[in-house]
Amino acid sequence: MTATEKHRATFVAGPDGLTFVGVLRSEIIKLTSLRSTVGLLLSIIVFGLAVSVALGLTMEDAGLPDAPSAGFMLDNVTIGTVLFGQLIAGILGVLVISGEYASGTIQSTLIAAPSRLTVLAAKAVVLFVSATAAAGVALFGSWAITYRMFAAFGLEIGLTAPGVTFALLGGSVYVGFSAVLGLGIGTMLRSVAASVATVLSVILLLPVVLSVLPASPFVRNLHLLSMSKAGDAMTSLADPGGAFLHLADGYVSPAAAWIIAAAWAGVFLLLGAVRLRRGDA
Amino acid sequence: MITAEALVKSYGNKVAVDAINFTVRPGQVTGFLGPNGAGKSTTMRMIVGLDRPTSGSVHVNGRRYQDHRAPLREVGVLLDAKAAHKGRSAYKHLLAIGATHGIGASRVREVIGLAGLDSVAGKRVGGFSLGMGQRLGIATALLGDPATIILDEPVNGLDPEGVRWVRTLMRNLAAEGRTVLLSSHLMSEMAQTADRLIVIGRGRILADDSISNIIAGATRSVTRVRTPDTERLMATIAGPGVVVSVLADGAIEISGLTAEHVAVAASTAGVVLHEVASVSGSLEEAYIALTAGEVEYRSSHIAETGAHR
Repeated sequence: MTATEKHRATFVAGPDGLTFVGVLRSEIIKLTSLRSTVGLLLSIIVFGLAVSVALGLTMEDAGLPDAPSAGFMLDNVTIGTVLFGQLIAGILGVLVISGEYASGTIQSTLIAAPSRLTVLAAKAVVLFVSATAAAGVALFGSWAITYRMFAAFGLEIGLTAPGVTFALLGGSVYVGFSAVLGLGIGTMLRSVAASVATVLSVILLLPVVLSVLPASPFVRNLHLLSMSKAGDAMTSLADPGGAFLHLADGYVSPAAAWIIAAAWAGVFLLLGAVRLRRGDA
Repeated sequence: MITAEALVKSYGNKVAVDAINFTVRPGQVTGFLGPNGAGKSTTMRMIVGLDRPTSGSVHVNGRRYQDHRAPLREVGVLLDAKAAHKGRSAYKHLLAIGATHGIGASRVREVIGLAGLDSVAGKRVGGFSLGMGQRLGIATALLGDPATIILDEPVNGLDPEGVRWVRTLMRNLAAEGRTVLLSSHLMSEMAQTADRLIVIGRGRILADDSISNIIAGATRSVTRVRTPDTERLMATIAGPGVVVSVLADGAIEISGLTAEHVAVAASTAGVVLHEVASVSGSLEEAYIALTAGEVEYRSSHIAETGAHR
């Protein structure tokens, strides 16, 4: 048994251990090294800008307000990014984790970083930041590109107008939350197809289903608590003197909508975390 | 050093790994040998925390894998050559894995060179052959310059040059004092590479010893003789502990007597021998003897051979 007496000749333990910053860096490399994920991020920007420009070019036909209106401007500038961005970001969130299960990369990922919640947290941070940033570029870019178009009718609205910057910021963050929602669902279900279907159901179908339920005082405005209604409210102006949240009146303030969207993303992320932590990878 | 203690993994009421104990020591190549479905991969997945043990424990250098400060520097693993996204380049794949531990581009290029992947490092993994995938998996395992290396079926899909490369690499890693655990169902590969074997079947350890001891313990050495005068030879050598069997082709297999004894006895009795040879068992025979009854999927042909032995 002389072999066991030998000592390692070349191996020297390095100074670098596993760190959260390292896992973050790893997730950034993964996100930016696939055509699919980079393409989805870019398409948030492309769809957002394209819809805003199209609406800007046709706004005269659609009917103009008499005086400059921040609400009118926001409707035109945010709808493309919010509508398409929430779906694209949701699918991106699914791919970031389900794509790993489909390709087997999850094995390499969890061997490199065995603390699974650290991996999920890093994915959530990277997704939230990148989707929010892409939507931010789309929203603030839409405002900048269409500024002249609104100005042609004397309807231009600056970023300093009350609530405007907060609404554009809200739209960006909403798309970020949508990505995290997708990540949570993807982690929970693992299969790409099932996860994408669930993301679409939660974002698109749920408010429709809730609004056609038999109208009772209780369920009548429940759809206002859905994810996509929160997206609408986050990109709208607050009613001056309006309540924080008044379901009976059908009113959700932008601030309340931030919390609703965060809750949706948070709940699914939590469900995903439970599935990931328990049992086998 | 890998230590498993009463390690159990069950799925529902099917027990995949059944309370096994073993130690994989540094400085040698330990082979993990067993039929498909014996529990090899499940055990390896439990070592690195991908699967949770139902009960019992498995430690690497005294700790659970996931409790190490720098797991990649502790253990390098190849479990599945296809554990990389098809759309990502080999270089970016390694870079992403290394980034978790602050392992940078220079080490990534080093292992790419080591694995002979320089020319394809920038290409997407989807276009890789199985052999290139194995090389990428081995490069991944070496990334953290780990003290323990675990490779599940590393020579699958490799060409002869690649097989030799893996064999030399593992011998060198063990000679450097590292712990090397290698699973395979290829006996010849094991016989050439491993110092020690852990044979597993249906989730239980069937043997844990040096290769020569395993062969000696699980097979018997016989003396094979050919003679025109079978009857007289059998009468001459008959005695307690001597078992004689006549094979279909007319040869006689004698156990309990060495070739020397048989030759001397025949010569004394005036029996002419056309052939005298001592036949010792091979690893393959030892393996089949050990795993008889432990194989989940068996073809009838193999069953006959096993019964014959």
